Amino acid sequence: MTLLVGVDTGRRSTAVLALAAQLANSLDTDLVVAAVVASPWPPSRASVDHEWRAHDRAAAEQVLDHAASVLGGEVSARFVVHEAASSRRGLLELVGEESPDAIVLGSSSRGEHGRISLGAVSEALLHASPVPVAVAPVGYRAALDSRIVRLTAGYGGTEAAEDLVLGAASIAARAGGSLRIVSFAVRPEAETGILAGAGGRAEDPVLVEWVELIRSHASAIIDEIEELDPRPRVEEAVIGIGESWAAAIDDIGWTDGDLLVVGSSGLNPLARVFLGSHGAKIVRNAGVPVLVVPRSAAWP
Amino acid sequence: MTSIAQQLFRRKPIPRESADSPLRRTIGLFPLMAIGISATIGTGIFFIMSQAVPLAGPAVVWSFAIAGIVAGLTALCYAELAGAVPVSGSTYSYAFATLGEGTAMIVGACLLLEYAVSAAAVAVGWSQYVNELIGNLFGWRLPAALSNAPEEGGIVNLPAVILIALCAVLLVRGTKESVITNAIMVCIKIGVLLFFIAVGVTGWNSDHFADFAPYGISGIAAGAGVIFFSFVGLDAVSTAGEEAKNPKRNLPLAIIGALLVVIALYIGVALVGIGAQDPKRFENQEAGLAEILTHVIGSSWPGTVLAAGAVISIFSVTLVTLYGQTRILFAMARDGMVPKVFAKVNERTRTPIQNTVIVSAVVAVLAGAIPINFLAEMTSIGTLAAFLVVSVGLIILRVREPHLERGFKVPLYPITPILSILGCIWIITQLRPITIAVFAIWVVVFLVFYFFYGRRRSVLEPGNDLGDPDVPLTAVVRQPGARDRSES
Repeated sequence: MTLLVGVDTGRRSTAVLALAAQLANSLDTDLVVAAVVASPWPPSRASVDHEWRAHDRAAAEQVLDHAASVLGGEVSARFVVHEAASSRRGLLELVGEESPDAIVLGSSSRGEHGRISLGAVSEALLHASPVPVAVAPVGYRAALDSRIVRLTAGYGGTEAAEDLVLGAASIAARAGGSLRIVSFAVRPEAETGILAGAGGRAEDPVLVEWVELIRSHASAIIDEIEELDPRPRVEEAVIGIGESWAAAIDDIGWTDGDLLVVGSSGLNPLARVFLGSHGAKIVRNAGVPVLVVPRSAAWP
Repeated sequence: MTSIAQQLFRRKPIPRESADSPLRRTIGLFPLMAIGISATIGTGIFFIMSQAVPLAGPAVVWSFAIAGIVAGLTALCYAELAGAVPVSGSTYSYAFATLGEGTAMIVGACLLLEYAVSAAAVAVGWSQYVNELIGNLFGWRLPAALSNAPEEGGIVNLPAVILIALCAVLLVRGTKESVITNAIMVCIKIGVLLFFIAVGVTGWNSDHFADFAPYGISGIAAGAGVIFFSFVGLDAVSTAGEEAKNPKRNLPLAIIGALLVVIALYIGVALVGIGAQDPKRFENQEAGLAEILTHVIGSSWPGTVLAAGAVISIFSVTLVTLYGQTRILFAMARDGMVPKVFAKVNERTRTPIQNTVIVSAVVAVLAGAIPINFLAEMTSIGTLAAFLVVSVGLIILRVREPHLERGFKVPLYPITPILSILGCIWIITQLRPITIAVFAIWVVVFLVFYFFYGRRRSVLEPGNDLGDPDVPLTAVVRQPGARDRSES
């Protein structure tokens, strides 16, 4: 049992290590902290990339040293430097070698503090990884001995989403945390309804009906969870409504040790992580770490 | 057992605002005006000239003014009714809260007709401009059989049907993030009409006005009846009562301001159009405004620009109209007036899929099979009838509950609502008898449906699921709370 932690050779990765440690404590696994460096170009007479590769490898070693000092022996971890044509491909190759329970990644450095910002690698893995992918927000901090205390599973009203919630329930049970089920709705601008002559709140009755529907289905799912063994503590289903995705997500309230679990698009036929359009909006606006799982993941 | 009279006159109590969903007044005067302009322009002006000029001749300019003034008077009545009850929703909701279930059903019937038929009419107009646009760009047009209604010698109006289908897909998916912002739409619409005026005026020929009113006053009125269609949407502003900042001042100002802008643009377009093209050539012209520009300049590019603007803005109008239709039906279904299938929401898309599909299918059939002039007249009569009921309702409410605090009162009461009523009746009498007959049949059918269905399934019927027996059948309209006043 292990988690694959992808660190960037260019910079320190305290946020992703904090999340990785938290997940490792909760799931009782160890870590493989990996830095991917560029593999050599096909041999050429000039051999111009020799110096670059030396520099790249030194940077990777430095980042891994830093990671080792951050983890400080409190979390059992191996550190590897892996050569591959691209970071994405390197991480996928490591998934094949190590068969981890999940990949843990950080946000890109350009994002807003406290929100998740996807870089090229995390974006690509969220559309191709065969195992769940966890992403830490920019500047995420948690104590090395802390655990995930609550899983919030996004329920989007499909059967795949139902499986997701059941899967999340089993992780929550394993991690000893509680589980809550959430659905999000974005209230449209009043302007559309007024333009249509149906009033600025034309969408409210639709939302009311939808909320009733989601509530009844969520309680059916909770009944199913109650029969699991072991089963997590289940909080009531919550619904976040706001004028924007960020507002809808903030609407339900979050605490330290929260992890949001989002499923893959129902349109994707493969058993891989494939973030749908709703999922992508949730991930980009989340203020807590997010775990994106494949459609029918073999749950750890 | 509730008597029929009680059923017809029972009013829906107004839900109190709960503390956790505070009303936020966010829309100021200019955005309101923009909404009014945007909701109005694009429904008719792009294709109504070829229907109205043959009826009224160059005096169609007066038809525009008359239709505009009647629309303005009724929009003011709308605003008062909307301001009297803090209910969110369409005219149907206001009527249910103030005038009772029976009136609400009549208004509902008018609105369903107005929305469905105007969406179809607008889609047909869109197909004309799309055809013009691809004709100009690629030198190739859809065959007449696939772009005309059967009565006009075609098989089906395919582009119109495709447009409705596209809108349905967007609405099922949830358009909240894909609708182009209103500000951009307003600019496109006004820009296109100003462009028409600026280019078209270069082809001005005063001789076209020589025979100014060939069909006299009755011709002008008949023109106004068809043209009324192009003022549909002005009343949309009055449904912003809850979101508008200082509605007492801003609602009427926004309605009048939008009306003035729209009338000025329409009359400008009408004058320039007739100045540039012999009035006798308007009849049966498709994509009229673009054609006129092509004739004036002798080159196709201005027509192409205009057609492109029309295609974009008409598309958004169709989308918004269909959206309004589905949401009004949704509200009616929740009240038990139409089958519950219209109030079903899909869990995943968060939209009423069945509702949207049924509405779109009906509108697509109308758009594919019925010629535009009949659709425009049906829209006009549906709108005029709804306006009529609102104006009458306003007087009834003034008599019955004189002390009710109203967010906004029409100026010159009772002259305004009476003029509005007379104006509506006058224009209705000018429409073709077949239009009036079809409309009457529709309302009767709807009321019969109510008699056998909605009357017993109404949420207000004691013993029904949502019915609350403690609520008196004729609840007094709630006064706007202290908070509403302090915020305004």
